[in-house]
Amino acid sequence: MQAILDRFKGHGHVSVLAGANIVVLVLLAIGLGSSFFSMNNMQSMMTQVAEFGLLAVAMSLAMLTGGIDLSIVATAVLAGIVGAEFLTGKVVDLATTPAPVVMAMAVAAMLITGLLCGLFNGLLIAKASIPPILATLATSIFYTGVGTVMTGGASVPVKVKEFFKLGTVTVANIPMVFLITVIAFVVVGMMLRWTRTGRRIYLYGENAIALRFSGARHERLVILTYAIVGLICALAAMIMVSRTASARVGYGEAYLLQAILVVVLAGFDPFGGRGRVSGLALSLILLQLLSSAFTIMRFGPYMKVFIWGAMLLAVMLVTRIMAGFMERRERAHVAPPGSGGSPAVVEAVSA
Amino acid sequence: MKSPFRAVFHRRSTPVERYLTLLIIGYAILVTSQNPRFFSLETVFDLVHEGAPTMILAVGVLLVLVSGGIDVSFPVVAITSAYMSIKLMWAFGLDTMAFMLPVSILFGTILGLINALLIHFLRLPTLIVTLGTMAVYRGLMAVLLGTSQYPVAQMPKSLAEFGLLDIVSVTRPEGVYGLSIFLPIVAAVMALTWFLLYHTMIGRSVFAMGSDPEAASRIGVNILRTRLFVYGYTGALAGLAGLIYYAAVQNVDPVALSGFELMVIAAVVIGGAKLTGGEGTILGTFLGVLLFQLFQTTLVQLGLASTWASFFFGAVLLASLAMIYIRQRRADQRNLVFRVG
Amino acid sequence: MSVPILEARNLSISFGGVDALVDVDLTINQGEIRCLVGENGSGKSTFVKIASGVYRQNAGTVAIDGVDMPSGDPGAAIAAGVQVVFQDLALFGGLSVAENIAFSYMLENRTRQVSMTKMSELAQQALDMMEVRLDLEAPVSNLSMANKQLVAIARALLLDARLIFMDEPTAALTRKEVNRLLEVVEGLKAKGISIVFISHKLDEVFRIADTITIFRDGHKVGDFEAGELTQSDLTFHMTGRRVEYPAYQRTPRDTDGVTPPVLEVRELADRGHFSDVSFAIRPGDVLGLTGLLGAGRTEIALSLFGLNAPSHGEVLLDGEPVHIRTPQDAVGRGIALVSENRQVEGLFMEQTIGHNISSTRLDTLVNRLGILNLHRERELAQSAVAQMGVNNRNIDTLVGRLSGGNAQKVVIGKWILTDPKLLILDSPTVGIDVGSKAEIYEKIQQLADDGMSILFISDEPEEIAANCNRIVVMYEGAIVNVVSEEERNQPNFVEVLSQMISEPTTRVEVDSAAQGGSQA
Repeated sequence: MQAILDRFKGHGHVSVLAGANIVVLVLLAIGLGSSFFSMNNMQSMMTQVAEFGLLAVAMSLAMLTGGIDLSIVATAVLAGIVGAEFLTGKVVDLATTPAPVVMAMAVAAMLITGLLCGLFNGLLIAKASIPPILATLATSIFYTGVGTVMTGGASVPVKVKEFFKLGTVTVANIPMVFLITVIAFVVVGMMLRWTRTGRRIYLYGENAIALRFSGARHERLVILTYAIVGLICALAAMIMVSRTASARVGYGEAYLLQAILVVVLAGFDPFGGRGRVSGLALSLILLQLLSSAFTIMRFGPYMKVFIWGAMLLAVMLVTRIMAGFMERRERAHVAPPGSGGSPAVVEAVSA
Repeated sequence: MKSPFRAVFHRRSTPVERYLTLLIIGYAILVTSQNPRFFSLETVFDLVHEGAPTMILAVGVLLVLVSGGIDVSFPVVAITSAYMSIKLMWAFGLDTMAFMLPVSILFGTILGLINALLIHFLRLPTLIVTLGTMAVYRGLMAVLLGTSQYPVAQMPKSLAEFGLLDIVSVTRPEGVYGLSIFLPIVAAVMALTWFLLYHTMIGRSVFAMGSDPEAASRIGVNILRTRLFVYGYTGALAGLAGLIYYAAVQNVDPVALSGFELMVIAAVVIGGAKLTGGEGTILGTFLGVLLFQLFQTTLVQLGLASTWASFFFGAVLLASLAMIYIRQRRADQRNLVFRVG
Repeated sequence: MSVPILEARNLSISFGGVDALVDVDLTINQGEIRCLVGENGSGKSTFVKIASGVYRQNAGTVAIDGVDMPSGDPGAAIAAGVQVVFQDLALFGGLSVAENIAFSYMLENRTRQVSMTKMSELAQQALDMMEVRLDLEAPVSNLSMANKQLVAIARALLLDARLIFMDEPTAALTRKEVNRLLEVVEGLKAKGISIVFISHKLDEVFRIADTITIFRDGHKVGDFEAGELTQSDLTFHMTGRRVEYPAYQRTPRDTDGVTPPVLEVRELADRGHFSDVSFAIRPGDVLGLTGLLGAGRTEIALSLFGLNAPSHGEVLLDGEPVHIRTPQDAVGRGIALVSENRQVEGLFMEQTIGHNISSTRLDTLVNRLGILNLHRERELAQSAVAQMGVNNRNIDTLVGRLSGGNAQKVVIGKWILTDPKLLILDSPTVGIDVGSKAEIYEKIQQLADDGMSILFISDEPEEIAANCNRIVVMYEGAIVNVVSEEERNQPNFVEVLSQMISEPTTRVEVDSAAQGGSQA
């Protein structure tokens, strides 16, 4: 029985999400029919979920370590701006440099910027011991500041046509940007499940002190994690710039709240150590389905904001109630909270 | 031998307060050397007028941080309450601050109390709970009340006039400069909060809860009541700040101040409030807000575009944080304290 | 005879069907100092929690001054003058001494407005009762552990406490501080206040108690006049048997005279924690490092494990000078640390046994791309679980579900997997039942017999005497006694050792120690 409960703790959330997805899909099929499942709508949903999905997976990594990254959007925007500086012809002469070279330089610049932003976050958190929420709050303001200074607050237009085609190219009718996101999810998922670094991220999130006492380089792990977060943000920046054919400060501000929402909805523990990429994927799909449905049903943007907020609160409420239920179940077996000083009691029970 | 600081404040100044004061003085000297007009009453009057809503919000944020939480919903609470009071005023046809002010404050308090209840019963990070309520409040208000903007010509006359009300004015060749009515309001808010925090049991309970919630509840601090006070009071201040903000900018925009929450939190954090709770001073908060406001409004006088504001503010914030937390890290290393994060 | 201040009759409580306290009667008189002793989990803390209204008993009554108290109502207990000074004290580091002392009083009296002057007066009044002086304005975080303890007691006094429970108040105090605390306690007794003192340091118990109440397995064994018990009687009553752990005897294997010791520490010092510490551990040695809490034992362990950079001195491994700067260095050189605070530093409570065990071995479980061999991981975990005799062999069980003893076996298991040259065990049996304790001792001795070098840190003389072939006694950061193998084998050694630990400043000769007795 206990084993079943333990398993449920790990997978229950994922199955609930899968169930919710099926229910929503069925409802949409009944209510909206073919207009919803048209190729057009499917492609547009995939494109929309692509960049946001990347930001969400970035956020989820930070949350797995028990931290949070409030600078994901600022990082992506800054990376986008740096890349767009190349694509707009400010850094290199577009007339004389071949487009593929410019694009390669732009992408490299974005990735390097994202990586540096992430590394800087990681250094502040690991080496200066600044709480992640404050460190990334500060850097989000700072990165935005750098972006504003670079652009004067204006939008940087992309002048290399080939680049914004990237946003519309499809492979077997699937948008390429969506494939990039899928690959990123698979890679992160595999990393978390099968690599030493992934395992250590979970252990760190669960108990950073114990990981340190196990002889792991805990500071390097934090820096590495936030560097990966920055890199994923840069990928998101790439999609962002290609989709909108420009980069500007202030783009995608609403993503931050939504990213936290979707990660918490996916069952990630804000205190760290728990959460699965598969759950995140399901939770993203669910949100995207609902979001598209709301658009088709002509809900205003604020109605959506309201529904997201209400969902976040509702999910937390349900999780709380379920946790309370589990606790009560366990208490019937073991000891009340605060009776930690009686190991003999616990002993007898678990034996 | 008491230092003058001690004589006035009855405590030692904190390192952050000292460093911020030096920074602000240094900045003022720098700007004055570039542009002598900076050193004038007008600048001060301007800062008061522009900075008043931020300062009031910051005081609320300080309270939340001291209690060991973080709240990002307050700008939405501020705007929602103020907008609601304006709508209600029109419904009743009472164009007077005497109506709008209490109504806005009341709404703010209610929204704050809802925050408190959710935080208490969900037992989750306050950041995430208030992110949720922020979205709900904003969405609900927009859906129920609409999102029409009212520029100065259409906004309530009493509110527009309130924003221009001066208690003192000086006449200069270029025009008349006034010291806004906001000054006594902000001063009263700071004094009241200071009194509540340092001279009432509920205020001391906020510090106790912030420094160790477990210990606080064990010695009999009522955690729920303390939370209701913290978030209710913060909500009330937000309600007040919302109306003052509308009055100051002379424009009623129901989605104003979005994204402002992080800036205000940053200003309070610069002022030395710790996220781990139990620490933070009103003077530090004041200095943090002052610095923020200086960067917002006076960079131009240095010959820099206002686009540099976030850059400088972010840099100072990073320096502040590094100073505070590296100090703590060193102490932890010395005392063999192992902390998470 | 006056009415006893506290009278408990037939108290019983069980958690999830397991009895934590069975039919306990206990009477405490006014102005009495009572000591509650017993092993971890014997029920003494549970008793305190019922008496102070934190727990609701299943059966029985608690009467204060002859009046039955409502069950599970801390407020009523406080109103009746019952106060508990918990082990973690529940003080607020950022607030001043005065405020910490006066806080509860003002809450209790529904004070609304706070005046710093009034607070200082109240605090001074409480401190005067104890005849101690503290800087009222200093933040509590700046105080020593001992002074924090005094602040917590002062806070209780201010609430008109007439019965104060103190849960392990001396655990973190130096001898001098303990003396001061005991003086304060005796002073309070003279004022008619009753004190219930929970301690496992038996010498203190003998020194201060009027009456000693012994708990075992949730039952009260009995009340004893302090004078009528000897240390070994007490131990017998606590454990239910004459504890006779087999004493470890080292088999010498470096008789060639050229093999350097596995670890040698020369004049190691760390400012503020310890100084001039020198000792050596040979293969098969179990070196006991003992002393009061705060003597520098744990700090040395942390230094050897790369978590506390020493300011002076040398560490040699196999005769080679080494600098251990990080835990990675330590692990890389074959040093393992089973640290003091198992739950915080040793375990990932919400992870499986398997993941806990493999946490020290991840580097050897990966291929060149950093991908884990999950199959190999399971095998390793299985073998460690079997080797350590963890009662739950399913490595997918969450560690949080294990008892203290089995959880500790997981911690030791994860380190044994790294095949260390030097295993440091810091208080490895705290909070562990008698059965697991014996198994852990057996394992340690077996490891040492196989040639591992072990540094065993503990403040329990019995376990040090049983498991270590040589012993170093520390006090206030310095070594005050070194015990050789011959001395260890003296018949009355446990008593000698407890005296060495608690009376570190008087040089104890093994022969003269039979007289025992403690002079403060």
